[in-house]
Amino acid sequence: MAIGELLNRENSREKTVHLHKLTPLAKREALTGYAFISPWIVGFLIFTLLPMLASLVFSLTNIQLTMDGPLQWNHFQNYLELFKDPQIGSSLLVVLKYGAIALPVSVLIPLLLAILMNSRYLKAQAVFRSLFYLPYIIPFVAAVFIWGGMLNAESGWINETLRWLGVKSPPNWVDSVQWVYPAYVILGIWGIGNGMLIYLASLQNVPTELYDAAKVDGANWFSTLLNVTFPMISPVIFYTLVLAIVDLFQYFQIPLVLKNGTGEPGGATMFYNLYLYKTFFVFQNMAYGSAMAWLLFVIILTVTLVLFKTAKYWVYYAGDNSR
Amino acid sequence: MRSKSITLLVIVMALTLVLSACAAPAVTAAAGTAPAEGTTAANAAAPTPTATLKPGQVEVRWFIGLGTGTDPDQLAAEQEVVDEFNATHPNIHLTTEIVTYTSAFDTLATELASGNPPDIVGPMGVDGAESFHGQWLDLTPLIEKTGYDLTQYDEGAVNFYKTGGEGQLGIPFGIYPSVMYYNKALFDEAGLNYPPHKYGEEYVWPDGTKSVWDYDTVRQIAMILTVDQNGNDATSPDFDPDHIVQYGYVPQYQDARAMGSYFGAGSLVAADGKTAQIPSEWAAAWKWIYNGTFTDHFIPDWTVINSPDWGAGDTFGSGRVGMALTHTWYYSEITLEDWDMAAVPAYDGKTTANFNADTFRIMKTTKNADAAFEVLTYLLGDASLKLLNTYGAMPARIADQADYLSTVEAQYPWKPDFQVAVDGVAYADNPSFEAYIPNYLEARDRVVNEFTTLIQTTAGLNMDDEIAKLKSDLQIIYDKQK
Repeated sequence: MAIGELLNRENSREKTVHLHKLTPLAKREALTGYAFISPWIVGFLIFTLLPMLASLVFSLTNIQLTMDGPLQWNHFQNYLELFKDPQIGSSLLVVLKYGAIALPVSVLIPLLLAILMNSRYLKAQAVFRSLFYLPYIIPFVAAVFIWGGMLNAESGWINETLRWLGVKSPPNWVDSVQWVYPAYVILGIWGIGNGMLIYLASLQNVPTELYDAAKVDGANWFSTLLNVTFPMISPVIFYTLVLAIVDLFQYFQIPLVLKNGTGEPGGATMFYNLYLYKTFFVFQNMAYGSAMAWLLFVIILTVTLVLFKTAKYWVYYAGDNSR
Repeated sequence: MRSKSITLLVIVMALTLVLSACAAPAVTAAAGTAPAEGTTAANAAAPTPTATLKPGQVEVRWFIGLGTGTDPDQLAAEQEVVDEFNATHPNIHLTTEIVTYTSAFDTLATELASGNPPDIVGPMGVDGAESFHGQWLDLTPLIEKTGYDLTQYDEGAVNFYKTGGEGQLGIPFGIYPSVMYYNKALFDEAGLNYPPHKYGEEYVWPDGTKSVWDYDTVRQIAMILTVDQNGNDATSPDFDPDHIVQYGYVPQYQDARAMGSYFGAGSLVAADGKTAQIPSEWAAAWKWIYNGTFTDHFIPDWTVINSPDWGAGDTFGSGRVGMALTHTWYYSEITLEDWDMAAVPAYDGKTTANFNADTFRIMKTTKNADAAFEVLTYLLGDASLKLLNTYGAMPARIADQADYLSTVEAQYPWKPDFQVAVDGVAYADNPSFEAYIPNYLEARDRVVNEFTTLIQTTAGLNMDDEIAKLKSDLQIIYDKQK
């Protein structure tokens, strides 16, 4: 869901355009508009909707890229197999374990950083904003390889520094079950520049009158943050949280690049989406992989819907009089 | 009118965008041409080349990339072979498809799925071939029809390709026996004698006593060769395992199946073809490797193996490891000098020197089986020495092995004992450690990637539990194959 949609959902409810009620000129303009967005629509139909439908069909068959036998309908056999496959449960558990550390960090650290970048006491704000955003534009795979070298327990400079500081047995970072999640979270912080920028934009949109009123009422910095800033940017926090959860369930690039998708150490990095990717593209079991993809879709949809249900208790939309 | 023109223009632009996005990549390889030297094979990842055929001519497509064969010098040799074949066989037009190893599996699978597979694939090992289990043509009728002489090869090597009741799926081409590489300088420095070169010989200790050349002896030697930063070896009570500067042994580029089969040939599936099993020799081998890594510390763990300071994977090549057990394809990669080859050690009185073998296979989907077989016999015959030389493989044809030995020995000034490699063929593993197991790709991944890294990365494991879990997981994976 786009941020604009979240922020303006009330407006969008009010205005439903009906082509047949338009004047000829307005109708032509509307058609021109549709023509302009048609590349996206056609692209969506061909490259998103069609593959989705194809994967739904695949999930009901026995299709494999190198299949020896005939293509057959499997009905719901692949979905039933999901409940028998122990790797499904363990890979979802990996997601939850990692999420317990990564989710708060990926939502809060950019927020705190944005608050810092928005502070009027900070000198050279533009420089710092650029510096924090810069890592985001580094190609992701290159960054992962660099971090892999830095986190190497034997020769990485992080452990070299720790040894120099007197730590006798520094962590075995990405090769240790205990340290691999913190290591991946640290690696993930590298790319928080985008989240920071979104928060920063929302912080700068909070009306200054509200801060002035709070000041007149004698509110201190923390009280203002809690009672003015947070409610006003809560739609953006909500948006970031939704995206972070979706990203969490789709997490797989770092373990794929850094560990070649082996799930090492000890299966601790066999995330659900990595297992899905391997099932589909490495094991070439397209039917079972498609069923896994649809299970992931249902899980993400359910979690997102639950999150939306909670939104009315903590997300504030200015101008929303429906509550 | 004007707005209609604009709308039309926008629609045309939109369709152009979509069609250009859908269009096939512009890079195509000309028929029968390899990429210019220096270009990567990825650039040459070729959609099917379309040859211009003369009347009465059939096209045979040769897919290269599922094993070795995509280095620039190899591409040049292959192109020479193609040109020579086309010049001498007017009835067949041979073309190549060059795909890098990392993309080759996906490319071939996609070609198969789209009904456009090549005719011949190779060179490739058993592992590459088994990834496409059931897709290879039984050559028996063609061998009988043409009277192809199989007696020029060792009978065991011929039978190596007679697997799973599917017939003769290949003819021997290049083999890579196992040897124990050792670093002479590190042995000299430790005052140790070199390991035996002859199979059946014992190891002679500096005091003249002798030990059977087995894995217990390897362990003892390797611990002496493992040294910490204070100069203590791994047999010393003062040894510091946190600061090791030299290791005694490494299973160089070996996955868990290969590690296991050095202790005895076996299979991860029972004779019924459905039941998961762990050969007792393999379990013993895995425990030996694990204890050597985390208890006796003479084997580097995964972190060390992949560290740039230790060769980033080529651990023996770093010059800081005493011995490495692996195949003969490795010698061409070693940057180190003054290494030599010793016999593969025995386990429980029996020696198993597993080997890798490369050949070309014909896909059973081929529409030109006779022509493909003609190409195959050319690659195995007239072109074999040129190709084997560029692939670094030992000829499977017995008559060619003497020439091979003199050629490779001349390449190394310190004269490694390549006769060890030839002698090792007699101790080949049967069944091959790479042989088919049900649901091959997923089962292979569980063993080769997950289990191999597990036992090389994780201290404090109960190996009996892990081996039992592996067996249980394999059964689940086997059962997925209906």
